[in-house]
Order: sequence, then C-alpha cells, then structure tokens
Amino acid sequence: MIAAGRPFLPLFLHVLGAMVLVGAMLSVLFLTLAAWRKPMALLSKSAFRTLLIVAVPAWLVMRAAGQWMYSKEGWSGDNDPTWLGIGYLVGDIGLLVLLITTGVAFWWNRSNKAVAGRIVTGLSLVYLVMLGVAWLAMSGKWS
Amino acid sequence: MFPPVSTFDWLLMLHITGAFLLIGGSVAAGIFNTFAMRAERPSDTAFMLRMVRPTLPLIGIGSIAALIFGLWLVHEQTEVKLFSFWIVAALVLWVVMGALGSAGGKHQEKTRAVAERLAAAGDTSDDELRTLLHDTRGNAMSWLAGLAALLLLIDMIWKPGQ
Repeated sequence: MIAAGRPFLPLFLHVLGAMVLVGAMLSVLFLTLAAWRKPMALLSKSAFRTLLIVAVPAWLVMRAAGQWMYSKEGWSGDNDPTWLGIGYLVGDIGLLVLLITTGVAFWWNRSNKAVAGRIVTGLSLVYLVMLGVAWLAMSGKWS
Repeated sequence: MFPPVSTFDWLLMLHITGAFLLIGGSVAAGIFNTFAMRAERPSDTAFMLRMVRPTLPLIGIGSIAALIFGLWLVHEQTEVKLFSFWIVAALVLWVVMGALGSAGGKHQEKTRAVAERLAAAGDTSDDELRTLLHDTRGNAMSWLAGLAALLLLIDMIWKPGQ
C-alpha cells in the first residue's frame, strides 16, 4: 500500500532504515527509562551500543536511500511539497540530535552519572517525536 | 490543526503508522533479545528479557492497525482487488509473522523464568540457561518472525502481481 509506481529499492531501504531507526530509538528510550528506576552499568552500555551499532547505521541507510529516491524521482528543490521538506528537515536536524544523543550516551556509559542518562531519555524522546512527525507527514503526503 | 489530507492519505498514514509500530517494536524486542543472549549473568539476561515486555503492546497495536487500515485501503481503491497476489501474500505473511512471533515469545518467557530463578540463587549461569539462550529452534522462531515482517514490507512496496 505504500508506493504506487515509485522506485522499489531506494524506497524499501529508506522505509526500512527509518523503521529500524525508530526501533533503535525506542530501545534507547526504554533502557534509559529503566535506568531512572534501577541504575545499572548494563543499561548505559546497552544504550550507547544501540545508538552506535543500530541507530547511526540505520540513519545512514534511511538518509542515503532518501537522497537516491529524491534524484530518481526528479525532484529539483523548486516547489518541492511540504512533506518532502519536513522529511529533509527531520532527516538533517535529526542527525545532529542523534549524534548529540550518542555523545551523551558515551558520557553516561563512561561516568554512570544519572544526569547523563536523563539527558539521553529527553533527547531520544525528542528524536522519536521528530521521527513520528516525519513519518506522518511523508506517508500522509502533507501538502 | 492538521494540514488537509484526503481520506486515502489518512488511511495510508494510519496503515504506515501501524507498520512503524510493528517493525519498530520488533526491532526493539530483537535488540533486547540480543543483549539478553550476550549477557554474562542470569540477572542481566532476565532483566533484558523483561525489557521485551513494553515492546509487546506496540507490536500488537501496530500489527492490528496495519491489517485493519490496510484492508480499509483495499476497500477504498476500486483498482486493487482483495484477492490480488500481493494482498493474499501480505495476509499470509501477517499470520505467519504472528504465529512465529508468539512461539518465539513463549521461548523467551521460558528462558526468562530460568534466568530469574538462577539470579535469585547466586546469579551463576548453568547448562539449562545456556542451552535455552542458544537453542537454535527457539531463537529461530523470533528471527523468522522478523524475516516474515521484512518480507511483508518488501511485498507492500514491490506489490508483485499488481
């Protein structure tokens, strides 16, 4: 139901990357929320590894495939639809949020300071909301 | 409050939201399962397998929403037939994914119960837990459910036979 007449491989990789990214950020959110109740080194290590090994590569796949699709579908930047702009905005600002989250998770992993874990909770929640807006805008084709 | 969208786009948005919850939740469950398998102490294994629980409502709601809004989308489109190959394939994959995921979940629950027991009794692993953690058949159920979800996504985008 997703795509009529759109290039298969770039769209598949774009959607798959986005879904894996959402799953990775959900994991990080759950791990950090668990740490609020029960601080454990296991949680900070797992959150950092999830961001580094799953979330960042998933972002790369999502963004590269999105760019591939953009060029295949012949968009030019002139009068691009709103949903595409929202996707770009969340994609590019999202990288910044993702890298800051990964950096703070590294600090949390090294220091085990509760405040670092709480910052990761906030950042991962913000990023999940951004991803939610992007998938709603892109799938609903907000004009 | 919301930008203007057609009924079709609303349904597509809700269908895809369901798919995001389903696959996002499954990815999160897979991540926790992987950490559980690699944990050194039974208490850590049990903890990570408990972390799978909050992903289950997301997977359940996502799979139901993807199915309902997907069928609604088929109903809305006159050019798409319910018995098209890709729709039937999607429905079969949806059932297979659910059945395999449920079987994999039962295996994880059994593993968690053993890990909890060992955690309470000195937190040292034993052969039973190691066997359960590396049981090919038990783990294959969860990974095959993930593969079915991946095939479902490919089917939805590729639409073979349409």
